[in-house]
Amino acid sequence: MDAPHAVGITGLGTFLGQRLAERLSARGIRVVGLDVRRPYRIAEKIQFQRIDLTEPTADAALAELLARERVDTVVHAAFRAEPTADVEADHELETIGSLHVLNGCAAAKVRRLVFASSTMLYGPWPDNPNFLSEDHPLRGHPDAHQVQDRVEAESLLARFGRLHPDVELTVLRTCWIMGPSYLDHVVNYFERPVVATLLGYDPLLQFVHEEDAVRAFERATLEPHPGVYNVVGKGVWPLSTLLRLAGKRSLALPAPLLYRMGEYPSKAQTGDAPSGFYDYLRYLWVADGERGWAALGEPEYSTKEAWIAFVGSRRMRRYR
Amino acid sequence: MSEDRDQTLQELDAALDDLRVEIRSRFGGSAGREEETASIDWFEVFEELRRRANAFGIAERSGEVDEFGADEVVLARAQPVFDFLQDRYWRVDVDGIENLPDEGPCVLVANRSGLLPYDGIMISHAIHRAHPAHPLPRFLVADWLITLPFMQPYLARIGGVRASRDNAERLLSRGHFVVAFPEGMKGAAKLFRDRYRLQRFGRGGVIRLARDTGAPLVPVAVVGAEEVHPVLFKAETMARSFGLPFVPVTPTFPLLGPAGLLPLPSKWTIRIGKPLALDGLGGDAVEDELLISRLTEELRREIQTMVDDGVKTRPSVWG
Repeated sequence: MDAPHAVGITGLGTFLGQRLAERLSARGIRVVGLDVRRPYRIAEKIQFQRIDLTEPTADAALAELLARERVDTVVHAAFRAEPTADVEADHELETIGSLHVLNGCAAAKVRRLVFASSTMLYGPWPDNPNFLSEDHPLRGHPDAHQVQDRVEAESLLARFGRLHPDVELTVLRTCWIMGPSYLDHVVNYFERPVVATLLGYDPLLQFVHEEDAVRAFERATLEPHPGVYNVVGKGVWPLSTLLRLAGKRSLALPAPLLYRMGEYPSKAQTGDAPSGFYDYLRYLWVADGERGWAALGEPEYSTKEAWIAFVGSRRMRRYR
Repeated sequence: MSEDRDQTLQELDAALDDLRVEIRSRFGGSAGREEETASIDWFEVFEELRRRANAFGIAERSGEVDEFGADEVVLARAQPVFDFLQDRYWRVDVDGIENLPDEGPCVLVANRSGLLPYDGIMISHAIHRAHPAHPLPRFLVADWLITLPFMQPYLARIGGVRASRDNAERLLSRGHFVVAFPEGMKGAAKLFRDRYRLQRFGRGGVIRLARDTGAPLVPVAVVGAEEVHPVLFKAETMARSFGLPFVPVTPTFPLLGPAGLLPLPSKWTIRIGKPLALDGLGGDAVEDELLISRLTEELRREIQTMVDDGVKTRPSVWG
């Protein structure tokens, strides 16, 4: 199967969903966008269908909808940009919602499925190698429910792949996305006036530019690329250097204090980093992008350029 | 109303100018420079200073790191320190540097001593001096050390890499010299009474690495590093609260506090042996496993012999 006939995108309101829908429909491909509510601004050409993936019979409804619209390619991007304090609701959407999407795709005989995942799923662990390949086990993070839910979703996906070998299955694991318009809890963290870091740690980080991430999804939707790919930018940068480039003020705090301090605001949902987040600024979890670059094309922005695009757009400081 | 205010301001300005002239004349300055002084915009000066300070911070620690986090600028600044340690402090004699291949990749296998990776730093520095044009020699560091607060940023910047199979393979494929310590934790954590007695060499990882990458395997013996921090015994209960495997108790630490962390100035010798021949590997898988454990033991014995030789022939610990 080459070019898709019609593409279904779950999570039309998410950044990836909306950008991908716009790009695909600009290419003249029929796009069916699915979400719980209509996004505020969306091109007329994109067809919107309301569906709540957390409902018990969402899989049957989705299967019916996909069959009726004769959708042959599905992009599953209905994941939260920011975890909420409601652990159960998050689980319902991220894990059970993914299960419903998989069941629906199987029933509607979808030919290609593109699954949005994250390199955060590898987890920050002291014994990670400097570059995590796609074959590395997904160990997640025990405190971060948003990561654990998606690890579970990926294991459901692996089972789906074994049961339906005829479906072209592409998993794109993006690292932290940076750019002028992308928003999630990571961006929130870096936008704060004073960025809290861990005393005595200066991890290497990698970013991918939002355009590169969307482009990778577009390639995976249009062409057959079965398999798992890390979608990352080139180059790694220490956190301290990135903050200095941005002219951000940072405050280094001892790990136990920061973890305790981070716990309450994150529970209270004041826009603070979710629990488990600071381990991602402590240990290495850099992914190896070689396979993704070879299959889905070289990224246009490096890690540094993605960071500068983000910094420049927020007018934190003129980049010198 | 506003005219009043303007007038007051003008008077104030005039008074300030008079004061400035007065101060200039009293403190030896000539009143003729008055104009010059008055034209300085302090806000501009402050802005300029701030801008320079920021630029200085970026230029000084460029942050331009390679894929394993080594920083050229930090390394260049550390070179004089390493030179001092190598030439003056530990007076390191390097024997057999000619045994190294002219080009990487190459795996150097050395005996581990002391908790802090001074031995790895000294070996890579010696190689870097002998082959300055080569990719930076990298030393492998155990995970618990490289994830210790304050250790992690600095070790990575000066070329330390977490010891793992993936990392070593990646480094070798980039043509680096890689310094490995197969004794691992057992080597770093041994007591002073066990000095220069090599521990078991892992599970043959270095042999496997050399077999799969085709890199030559060079044994290295470090003599003198064991006396840098003679660990008399280990305090384990105290260590648990710091997240350390144990706290070493040396004659000076923790007795003298942080000063006790200063390494002692023993005399060092680094001996580089001939590359190990890995004949017969790569055939039958079952035979390979037996051969790997035999070769591992052979390598360990070789380094042990080199170490024993070095210990026997040195005049004294302080040389």
